[in-house]
Amino acid sequence: MSVLDRLKQLLERDFSIPPASLEGAATLESLDIDSLRLIEIVFAVEDEFKVTMPQDQGEIRDRVKTLGDLADLIEGLGAAKAGD
Amino acid sequence: MKRVVVTGMGAITPLGNDVGSFFEALSSGRSGVRRLEGLGTERLANRVAAPVSFDPQPLFDAAKLRMLDRVSQFALAAAAQAVKDCGVTLGELDRSRCGVSLGTGMAGAQSTDDGYRTLYAENSDRLRPFTVLLAMNNAPASWIGLEYGFGGPNLTYSTACSSSAVAIGEAVRRIAGGEVHLVIAGGAEACLNFGTLKAWEALRTLAMEDAKDPSASCKPFSKDRTGLVLGEGAAMLVLEERDRALARGAPIHAEIAGYGLVTDATHITRPSVEGQAAAIRAALADARMGPRDIGYVNAHGTGTQANDGVETAAIKSVFGETAYDVPVSSTKSMHGHLLGAAGAVELVAAIMAMQRGLIPPTRNLAVADPECDLDYVSSGARRAPGLAAVLSSSFAFGGTNAVLIARKDS
Repeated sequence: MSVLDRLKQLLERDFSIPPASLEGAATLESLDIDSLRLIEIVFAVEDEFKVTMPQDQGEIRDRVKTLGDLADLIEGLGAAKAGD
Repeated sequence: MKRVVVTGMGAITPLGNDVGSFFEALSSGRSGVRRLEGLGTERLANRVAAPVSFDPQPLFDAAKLRMLDRVSQFALAAAAQAVKDCGVTLGELDRSRCGVSLGTGMAGAQSTDDGYRTLYAENSDRLRPFTVLLAMNNAPASWIGLEYGFGGPNLTYSTACSSSAVAIGEAVRRIAGGEVHLVIAGGAEACLNFGTLKAWEALRTLAMEDAKDPSASCKPFSKDRTGLVLGEGAAMLVLEERDRALARGAPIHAEIAGYGLVTDATHITRPSVEGQAAAIRAALADARMGPRDIGYVNAHGTGTQANDGVETAAIKSVFGETAYDVPVSSTKSMHGHLLGAAGAVELVAAIMAMQRGLIPPTRNLAVADPECDLDYVSSGARRAPGLAAVLSSSFAFGGTNAVLIARKDS
């Protein structure tokens, strides 16, 4: 399963975001993910993908505008693949 | 100065999660004290406490709940009851002139304890992302302010065991002075976590478990008292400027007629007769009332050796010979010591006593103490149909003594 698909699963399961709205191009804003919610998601992502996200919140905000950006960031950090 | 009335009340307590069931239990002499079970309790020397049975799931959605420590859940639930009870529609309020005033001793102690467990016990750095927001002392008040969109003063008071009596008294003053029209005021506490219980245990001030009946472990004014029993919960009251409350046809539970605030400044824990008596006198003077006007005293009555004798002497010092005529009870014998929420919960109990004409008893007072020789209503609730004014005392570690007087509105 791709990082993006796993991310969608996580957001639906843990953050009750309706799956229909979860597309790679969807902006965080359109998903109603504010700065505080993003910090929670970052924490969950670190657990799920066994990665360490940047500590600088500004860096995350700059690099992540959409769900696809978040998936790319996770992938770039060398996410452990599901089933590995 | 404007007069201030109570138009709404809500409570989450070890004896029930609404004002009616709370008072019903109190007046039936039921105890919410029991032996704690679960995580780490085998390491506790003092295992009795008065926990709240509370399910937050129906009240908050999952995302919100992740941001709410148990103490904020209690505060929000009690506030919602109080707002409903007062019958106000938010649209009719100038919310820039509405505030929140909340007392808490330890606020998000559960989240702090959880964080330390993660860090030190599990040796993990995975602290929950909202730990600061969960644990911060002003979280309960802030959530209430957010819930109702109140733009006036949002204040948190922390004066240990008198926190919520202070929060209510200070709110009364702000309304009386005309600064605000309505304040949701009270207190919340949720400190029955392992770390906090161990800290209290270390102070050697907690009650030993009653060998025959754990629910009888808190014994205020009894010779065989061994200490206080910690409880948890919240009580919130809607306080309003009287004329405005009357104008909107609000139900009026009572007038807050007097508030006395005096600090001992003598010792960090040891109570003083002079300080307690001065606070009672100050409340009476504020209410322009005399001791004979008070029909019931809801005592601080912690069940510690130090407090109960001193409090008895303080009451005698103010009331003189009439001290023996006024019923005095400690409802802590049933709901435990709610620390920062104690003053608010006990004021609710005192107001309910006045409304129902029924004085709740002091439970577990089995052995007379020559130092404690007042009428402690120790043989069950007592009918008092003419009860027109009640006094509620809260005396704290740190020395902040706060006393509130409520009377029937007329």
